[in-house]
Amino acid sequence: MGDRPVTHVLRRPEVRVAGAAVAVCIGYFIGANIGFVLRLPPATPSIIWPPNSILTAALLLAPPKRWWIYLLAALPAHLVAELPIISPTSLVFSLYATNCLEALIGASSVRLLSSAPTRFDTMPRVAAFALGAGIVGPFLSSFVDAAAVAALAGEPYALVWRTRFFSNVLTELVLVPAVVFVAHDGWSRMRRASALRRVEGALLTAAITAVVVMYFVAPLTGPGPLLGSLDVPVAFFIPFVLWGTVRFGPAGASLSLLATALVVIWSATHGQGGFASPPTPESVLALQVSLAVSAIPVLALAGLVEERWRDRLALADRLRFEELLARLSGAFVHLASNRMDEAFLVWLERLGQFLGLDRVMLLRLSPDGRLFTVSHGWAGAGLAPMSTENLSAMFPWSVRQLLRERPVMFRSVHELPEEAARDRESLVEIGISAKLALPLVAGGRVLGALSLVTVGRERAWTDELVARLQLVAEVFANALGRKESEDALRASELMKSAILASLNSSVAVLDGRGQVIEINRVWARFSPDFNHSQGREVGVGQNYLAVCREAASRGEPHAADAVLGIESVLEGGQSGFSMEYALGEMAAERWYAMSVVPLSRPDGGAVVSNTDITERKRAELEAQRTRQELAHVTRVSAMGELTASLAHELNQPLTGILSNAQAARRMLDAPKPDVAELRAILRDIVDDDRRAADVIQRMRDLLRKGESEMERLEMGTLVRGVLKLLGSDALIRNVTVALDLDVRPALVSGDRVQIEQVLLNLVLNAMEAVTERPATERAVIVRTRNVDGQGVEVSVEDSGPGLRRGTHHMVFEPFYTTKSTGMGMGLAIARSIIEAHGGKIWAENNARGATFVFHLPPAS
Amino acid sequence: MTAPALVFVVDDDPSVRRGLDRLLRSSGLTVESFDSARDFLDRPEHEGPRCLVLDVRMPGQSGLDLHDHLVTTGRDIPVIFITGHADVPMAVRAMKAGAVDFLSKPFDESELLGAITQALERDRRRWEDRQRHAGSA
Repeated sequence: MGDRPVTHVLRRPEVRVAGAAVAVCIGYFIGANIGFVLRLPPATPSIIWPPNSILTAALLLAPPKRWWIYLLAALPAHLVAELPIISPTSLVFSLYATNCLEALIGASSVRLLSSAPTRFDTMPRVAAFALGAGIVGPFLSSFVDAAAVAALAGEPYALVWRTRFFSNVLTELVLVPAVVFVAHDGWSRMRRASALRRVEGALLTAAITAVVVMYFVAPLTGPGPLLGSLDVPVAFFIPFVLWGTVRFGPAGASLSLLATALVVIWSATHGQGGFASPPTPESVLALQVSLAVSAIPVLALAGLVEERWRDRLALADRLRFEELLARLSGAFVHLASNRMDEAFLVWLERLGQFLGLDRVMLLRLSPDGRLFTVSHGWAGAGLAPMSTENLSAMFPWSVRQLLRERPVMFRSVHELPEEAARDRESLVEIGISAKLALPLVAGGRVLGALSLVTVGRERAWTDELVARLQLVAEVFANALGRKESEDALRASELMKSAILASLNSSVAVLDGRGQVIEINRVWARFSPDFNHSQGREVGVGQNYLAVCREAASRGEPHAADAVLGIESVLEGGQSGFSMEYALGEMAAERWYAMSVVPLSRPDGGAVVSNTDITERKRAELEAQRTRQELAHVTRVSAMGELTASLAHELNQPLTGILSNAQAARRMLDAPKPDVAELRAILRDIVDDDRRAADVIQRMRDLLRKGESEMERLEMGTLVRGVLKLLGSDALIRNVTVALDLDVRPALVSGDRVQIEQVLLNLVLNAMEAVTERPATERAVIVRTRNVDGQGVEVSVEDSGPGLRRGTHHMVFEPFYTTKSTGMGMGLAIARSIIEAHGGKIWAENNARGATFVFHLPPAS
Repeated sequence: MTAPALVFVVDDDPSVRRGLDRLLRSSGLTVESFDSARDFLDRPEHEGPRCLVLDVRMPGQSGLDLHDHLVTTGRDIPVIFITGHADVPMAVRAMKAGAVDFLSKPFDESELLGAITQALERDRRRWEDRQRHAGSA
C-alpha cells in the first residue's frame, strides 16, 4: 500500500460520484428546459429532448453498479422541470420511467457492442454507438413512451411514437458524444493540447459562436453587412462541422454538430432560416431526419479521422521505440565492461520512462544458480527502489519459469496460476500489479532477467512490445555475458600475476622455442645466466635458451646441463628437469635449484624457476658435518673403550720383537752363531713390527675424522679385520667370538671406516651384553650372508639377556642406553650410517640373547 | 748328577712363544712351549726342576685358572705370569696364589731370566728334597 500516493480529498471516489450525480441532475434540468423551449406547440415532444441523452451519457460514463445513483439523481430534476408543464402527474412519472428506460437500453447496448463505450474513435465504435444509443434505445423505449402518452394524455399513438423516436434519435446522436467528451477527458485533453491547437480550437469556437450570434441576434437588428439575407441555409454550418470533425475528431464533430443542431432547431421553431412559421410537422420531421442522418456520417468521419490520427501516433510511437532500441543496441555493442553498470542504469531509466512503467530492473542469477538479486534498477518518481533481497524466495514460481527460459507476463496478479501462490503473495505485498519478466540468456545459460513492472495499475503487454523487449533482453544478455567473461579473464590474469609476484623463486615462462613470455618480479631482479659475476636480466622477448647456450659455450659449469634439461623438456622428452648448482666463490658461494616444468600450451613451452637454496644447502652441509663429528666422537669413544684391548694387542708383537732381539744378541755372543736362526729371528721381528703397525693403522683409520669414501668392500674380510682389533678385548672379557662367514663373496659399496664402526659397535655391545653370563656361556657369533644378489646381511648374535620387551626400535634412538657410563649414541650412529648406505638395521631376540642385523645393498 | 731344568712356556700368541723360546734357549735354558693350558696339562710330569712361564689371558682356560688348577691338584710348579694387559687386582691375586713373579709385556730379558732363575732354584730344592725323601725311604 505504501506506493500509492495519498489522494486529495477532492479526488476521493465518493466525492466524485456525488459531484457527478449533482451534475447529472443539473444537466437534466437544463436539458429539460431547453427541450421545452425548442418544441412545436402542436406536439408535446420537443424537436430535441436532451435529458434522455444526458442520462445515456451518464450511464455510458459510469460503471453499471453506480447507474442507480445517476438515475435517481435525475428524478428531482425531472419532477421540477416537468410537473409545472405536463399533466397528469402519473404521466410525469411514467415519462421519467421511459426516459430512464431509453438511457438504460441505449447505454447497455453500446456497452455490449463497443469495446470502448465512451470513445468514438474507431469506425466500429461509432457504429456501435449509432446503433445502440442512436437507434435501438430510442426505438424500443419509444414504444413505451408513446403508450404512456397515448394512454394518459390521449394523443395519437403512432404520431407520438414517430415524433418521439426521431427527436430522441437526433438528440442521442448529437448530444451524447459531446457530453461524453466533455465529461470524460475533455478537460485533460484540452490541457494537454499544444498552444497552436488551443488557438485553433478557440478560433473554431469563436467562428461558430459568431455565426450562432449572428443567427440569433442579427434578425433583431436587421440585415447585417455580411449575411445579407437571413435565410442562410443549414449548409452554412457544414464547413464548421467539417473543420471541427477533421481537426478535432469526435470531440469537435459532436460539439459542432450540437451547436448546428441547436441553432437550426431554434430557427425552425421560431420561423427563421427558411422555415415557415410555424413549421409544419412534416418539415420538422424532415429537419430531424436530415439532422440525424447528417450526424451519422459526420461521426463516422470523426471516427475515421481519429483512427487515422491515432494510427499515425502509434506509428510515430513505434518509430520512436525502434529508434530507442537501435540506440540501446548501439550503446551496448562495443561498451567497455567497466562502463556497463552506468549504461544499464541509464537505459533502464529510458525504457521505464518511455514505456510509462513504474520499475524496470535487471536481475542477476548467482553463479551457483540459487540467488536472484536486483543488480541494476530504476524506479519511477515517488517509488522506492526495489530491495535487493533474494528474490528466489519471494518469487519461486517466476524464478522457475525464468530458469526454463520462459518469460513471466501478466497484466494483473489475478492472472497468475495456482502454483504461483507464493509469488502472488509477494506481489501483493509490494503492490505490483502488472509485470513482464524476460530471461537473459547468453552462452546457453540463464544469466538473469529483465523485469518491467507497474505498481497500482494494470497494464497489458502486447505481443509486439514483448517481441521488442525480448530483443532488448538479448542485447543486455550479450553485454552481461561479455562482461562476465571479461571479468573472469581479468580476475584470472590478476590471480596469475599475484601468484607469480608472490613467489620467492625467480620464475619465467618460456614458449616452445625458449623465448621468455612472462616473468615475475624476482626474475626481473636477477635472472641467472650462470655467470655469477654479472647477473644479466633476461627479459620478456629474449630467448633464455640462447642465453644458457651462450653461457655453456663460455664454459660456465652447469650451463650445459641446464641447456640439455630445458631442451628436453621443451621437446617433450622429459616431464621435468631439476638440478642444483652453485655460483660464486668461498664465502660468497650461493646454491640454486633450477626446475624446468613443461607447460601445456598449444605450441609448447616451459616454466623455469630458480630458487635460492643456499640456506638449505648450508644447513644440509652443516648437518652432514655434525653427523661426521658425532660419528667421529663415537668412534673415538669406542676406541677409548678398546684401549685396554689395543694395548694388549700391541704388547704381543712388541714382546715378540723384544724377546727375539735380545735372544739374537745372546746368540751373537756365542762362538759360532747360528746364522739361519738369526735370519729367522729377523724375519719374525719384521713380521711382528708389521703386525703392530697394522694395529696402529687400524686405530688411526677409525680415529680419522673424514668424509666418506665409497669403495667396494668384502664383508667377510671387513669382519675379520674388525675382530682382529677386538680379539684381545674378547680375551679380556673371556668372550668367545665365533665367525660364520658366507663362502660366497659378500660385496657392498661403502665407506670402510664407517662400516667398521658399525661392526665394532655391534660386537662391543654384544660382548658387553654377555659379561653377566658365566664364563663358559659368553658367546658372540658374527655371521655374513650373501642374500642372493640382493645384498649382504651381517648379524651379530649374543648370548646375553636379550632386549627388553618393546625396545626393539627404541634401542636405535639417540641417548638410549642401558649402560651406566654409556652415551647412547652408538646404535643411533650405526643406524644413520647404515641408512645413509641405503641399508637397514634392526634388532630381535633369539633363543638365548639378542641379535642385531644390518643389511646393505649389493655393490653396483 | 743334577737333573735337567726345564722351562715351560704357555702362551696363545705365536709371536710371543717364538720370541720367548729363542730368548730362553739363547740363555742356555731348555724350553718347551704350548699354546694352551690344555696342551700343557696333557704333557706328563717332568722329572727334574721345572718352572712355568704362563700368559694370563688366553682363550679357553686362562692362566690364572690353570694356576688354580695346579695348586688344587697339588702340582707344585713355580709360575711366572706374563700379561699384555695388567691390572692390580690380577697381580694381587696371582701373587697371593703363590706366583713367583708377575711381569707385564713387553718385558726385558733380565726381568724374565731373573724370575726364571729364582723359580728354578726353588724347584731344585723341592726336587732335591723329594729325591732325598724318596731315596731315604
